Amino acid sequence: MLVKPKRILAIGALVTSAALLLSGCSGSSDDKSADSGNGTTLTVWVDSDRLAVLKTAAEEYSKEQGVTIKLVDKSIETMKADFAREAPTGKGPDIIMGAHDWIGGYVADGIISPIELGDKASEFSDVAINAVTYDSKIYQVPYAVENIGILRNTELVPDATPATWDEMIAAGRATGKKYPFVVTQNGPEGDPYHVYPLQSSFGSSIFGLDDKGEYNPDDLTIGNAEGVAFANWLGTVGDVIQGDISGDVAKQAFLDGEAPFWLTGPWSVKEAQDAGIKLAVDPIPSAGGQEANPFAGVKGFYINSKSKNAVAANDFLVNFIATDKIQTALFEQGGVLPAMTSAADKAASDPTVEGFKNAGKNAIPMPSIPAMADVWTPWGIAEGDILTGADPTATWSKLATDIQAAIDESK
Amino acid sequence: MSGRVNVRIGPFITKLILLGMFDALAVYAIFLSIQASNWIFVTVIAVIAVAFNWIYLRPGANPSKYLAPGFVFLLIFQVFVIGYTGYISFTNFGGGHTGDKDQAIASLIAGGQERVEDSPSYPITVVKAGGTFGFLVTDDGEALFGTATDPLHEAPKAVMEGGVAVSLPGYESLNFQDILNNQKAISDLAVPFSDDINDGTLRTQDGRTGYLYLSHLSYDADADTITDGRTGTVYHDGGKGSFVSESGDNLKPGWTVTVGFENFTKALTDPTIRGPLVQVTIWTFVLAFVTVFATFFMGLFLAIVFNKPHMRGRKIYRTLLIVPYAFPAFLGALVWSGMFNRSYGFVNEVLFFGADIPWLTDPILAKFVVIFINLWLGFPYMFLVTMGALQSIPAEVEEAATVDGASPWQIFRLIKLPLLLVSVAPLLIASFAFNFNNFNVIYMTTGGGPKIEGAGSNIGHTDILISMVYKIAFDGQTRDYGLASVLAILIFIIVTIITIISFRQTKALEEIN
Amino acid sequence: MTVTTTPTSSGVVLTPKKRTFKKFFNDTGWRHLVGIAVGIYAVFPILYVLSNALSPTGTLTGSNKLFQAFSLAGFERVLSNPDKPFGAWFMNTMIIGGVVAFGTILMGGLAAYAFSRMRFSGRRVGLLSLLLIQMFPQVLAVIAIFLLLGAIGDVFPVLGLNTRTGLIMVYLGGALGVNTYLMYGFFNTVPTSIDEAARIDGAGHARIFFTIIVRLVFPILIVVGILSFIAVTGDFVVASVVLSEPDTKTLAVGLYEIIANDRAADWGAFSAGAVMAALPVLILFMALQKYIISGLTAGAVK
Repeated sequence: MLVKPKRILAIGALVTSAALLLSGCSGSSDDKSADSGNGTTLTVWVDSDRLAVLKTAAEEYSKEQGVTIKLVDKSIETMKADFAREAPTGKGPDIIMGAHDWIGGYVADGIISPIELGDKASEFSDVAINAVTYDSKIYQVPYAVENIGILRNTELVPDATPATWDEMIAAGRATGKKYPFVVTQNGPEGDPYHVYPLQSSFGSSIFGLDDKGEYNPDDLTIGNAEGVAFANWLGTVGDVIQGDISGDVAKQAFLDGEAPFWLTGPWSVKEAQDAGIKLAVDPIPSAGGQEANPFAGVKGFYINSKSKNAVAANDFLVNFIATDKIQTALFEQGGVLPAMTSAADKAASDPTVEGFKNAGKNAIPMPSIPAMADVWTPWGIAEGDILTGADPTATWSKLATDIQAAIDESK
Repeated sequence: MSGRVNVRIGPFITKLILLGMFDALAVYAIFLSIQASNWIFVTVIAVIAVAFNWIYLRPGANPSKYLAPGFVFLLIFQVFVIGYTGYISFTNFGGGHTGDKDQAIASLIAGGQERVEDSPSYPITVVKAGGTFGFLVTDDGEALFGTATDPLHEAPKAVMEGGVAVSLPGYESLNFQDILNNQKAISDLAVPFSDDINDGTLRTQDGRTGYLYLSHLSYDADADTITDGRTGTVYHDGGKGSFVSESGDNLKPGWTVTVGFENFTKALTDPTIRGPLVQVTIWTFVLAFVTVFATFFMGLFLAIVFNKPHMRGRKIYRTLLIVPYAFPAFLGALVWSGMFNRSYGFVNEVLFFGADIPWLTDPILAKFVVIFINLWLGFPYMFLVTMGALQSIPAEVEEAATVDGASPWQIFRLIKLPLLLVSVAPLLIASFAFNFNNFNVIYMTTGGGPKIEGAGSNIGHTDILISMVYKIAFDGQTRDYGLASVLAILIFIIVTIITIISFRQTKALEEIN
Repeated sequence: MTVTTTPTSSGVVLTPKKRTFKKFFNDTGWRHLVGIAVGIYAVFPILYVLSNALSPTGTLTGSNKLFQAFSLAGFERVLSNPDKPFGAWFMNTMIIGGVVAFGTILMGGLAAYAFSRMRFSGRRVGLLSLLLIQMFPQVLAVIAIFLLLGAIGDVFPVLGLNTRTGLIMVYLGGALGVNTYLMYGFFNTVPTSIDEAARIDGAGHARIFFTIIVRLVFPILIVVGILSFIAVTGDFVVASVVLSEPDTKTLAVGLYEIIANDRAADWGAFSAGAVMAALPVLILFMALQKYIISGLTAGAVK
């Protein structure tokens, strides 16, 4: 077939060469003002949820110290792996905001620097300092402490959440709503983080502690009798803790008033309030007789060990972020319990913050030792399997054996 | 286009101009590479530049003139990259082994710096004289001064301001901007606390406050060992990319070394890899084959249905049918996965009246869903291709057969289908290879799940080889680039063999001769 | 196979003007039924996205009642978030896709011309190895690509990680291969006598290619251009490894991140973005349908 493509070709060529030019120019302008002499730029990776919170603080610091803070929106899903890939080549950001349990892996990769908080360390809550300390050194400037608790729809259940699991489920069923209780699960992969408080109420833990109070990878305790007891209990609640209640399903059920109780963290509060739900935050009921203790997760800032702006990064974190003023300001915008004690005390006047603080008053930090990498996935899968009917005792002991084998192998 | 002379001179001038621009760029690039002392780049760019000049300055038609531009990109971004992946497969590159040995040592020594317990924090002022940096330290209201080579000593001449030493005659006190301009030098600066090295060194992280550090790890370059001063343990290079003690303890981080066929052995013997690998390989073949088969016959069926001249609305149907092809595939896959959501998806809620079918989390159903989505993504292409192929079969063939008394079905089965297959076979093979590596569909729908029991790195029932590689490299908690590269190479070999065999079979390549 | 029941249209003598319904159904009516059914199957997911995009909420729930509400809130959300700059993603995708498509057409076309028109040693091997090398998807080599671009970026920042030009080069590495093979098939359908006639007229080889052959093989050029454009817009892994900052991302990476995090997944904004992301390709596809069909089919048949 014969066509007259000349004009189309010409236009195409024009458009593409213009595009090339555009991409070339803008490409070069992207290329970091950081390495040019005038003005220091700190690149900070932040997950989308917290970007807005940090913006004002970052601008203020820029004004004070003449250091530009470039906040980069990163998906929490990919941030951890992206940093691990980019940092060794010297390409990563100067600072990354993330969870404290990444420390172990990052230290093993040699991609984060210890941070000297000096006397300031005593101004933070014990649990926060505990969480960010690894091998006797602090690797993170903590900003917030998070733990999960029970979000209760006070219009459906006006009374405080009962102290035991059975009573809570009974109260939930009494509302006649679609779900008596919701908690995030990831299908067959479970979600051990969210289920852990219930596990801890059986006295079960993952690792024992060494004499310094740090997790001891040589002492795997998940498979002991308490763990098995928890597994057997888990086998009986598959109708309530459903695998396909994913994060958004759980959220929607609560927002729609279809679930009176939601086991979740402070990150869910705002949306629920925006949706007009009247809520209260309560401690997590016990399933196994003992106190239900959630994991404490600390959010904070790491410094890339290959950062060319180490002084600026340290100054920003230690002399700016780690101050009462900024921790309070960050709380006011983000609504998460500050890691600094003085700011946390001020924050406790907020009933939801206080609720979470109560729910987590004995929370222990999530383990950050590298051995944890061998735990999370099989742990979740085992729980998922038990919830969908696998034999609890056999599955749980196999889990313990598998984890031990994996730990031994990666040594 | 005027005159014949232009025909020769015009292109020649164009050629010269283009080549000149290219050479100018090349020279500039070489200049930049020399500045960065990157001799590999210098060589590569020089070779390419010389080759291009040689190729394009020769007169006459020459295949290399037409092949060169594409081949440069191909060589660098495809061939080299494959080769490099091959190299990675023989290393322990991955989590804990990401850099070279020097980096690992530097990192270990830095990590070995420990603040002396109960030591105070010292307000400091960074000062500079003739390129040498020093710390002006305030200790209990007294000024001390020292540099990297000059241990801390009293500095009575220092100017105090509010109880803190702020400057020293003969030295320039650095403000924050000056400090920022010398960040590396200042964070590396270690001022001995006294003449005795065992008293430790003073360092600063933020340029304002100094702390006293003692290192408990020391590197002995001659013996190539690291010694832990606290315990006296000696760690030596264990040959596997890390320092190891007598009792087998590894220091982390390590560094990247070649490990021979270790990764290959692991892929084939480690039960957490081998088991899933077999299962995943089978499923990859099944998925690719069923997808090609299903999309082809659906496309063919539709092509026959709409291969009817004068049918009203034929164009509209055709336009509707190719919509999935024009819709970005990753979006299509994501949307379908939303519709198959167990609790809120359209399929369960509306089509199955609120049923609770675990489409994406049941091992068998999830496979069906993946194939179903693949069918949606793939049939329009086959529809277009087979329709063209059908139309190109001469009408006389059919007429002659009809005259000979063949039934329509016979005509289709014995004449049209074979003719069709011959012409579309290469495309079917290409489609097979494409679906063999159709990462997006898996990643955006099931994410490979549900997980296979006992598998490492979260490998699932709907994972295909390529998504398995991705998980081993990125998704797992331990990033094992070496192992991932082994599987990448294996996939490459499998697909290559299949392609060669099937092309032989269809004799598609015979025409090339 | 359902094909067994297919009556072919051949041998049907002039259809009488007044035909019975049964005859109509046997002849073409059932074809309409098939067309409507398959049409719904083909288009439904797109309608679903559109309905989601126009719904005021950001969640999947309630999205099953199609077109119950009309709101542009989703579009507003996706267009107004400065930390997830949809506009920049869109431009990036168009620029990268456009440049790669053009580069692929150019380089692939040149190579196909050489393979089709010239006889040289290594030709057969070359064509075959092109095809085989392309069997190695770039996804499998992202680690190597990442390291390579990192090294390049150290010397030439404009071409390194986190630049569109860097990603374009990587994609152009895959420009030959299947595309060349596809074009090669089409080029072969153009009789060599045309070249020869031109040569006798005194045209050089470059002139023959750029002014005569290009015109004759135009449909396949369009097809290859569109195929590579689609490949670029659909690529997720390579793009996400090369581009790590928000303003350099492509649509595939950016849109995915809107819904990647369960906690913050905004399906309304995602759907609105998806609709806008799909539009250019859809429009291009519909506008060039004629070329695509003839390009694809002729290439296939040869």
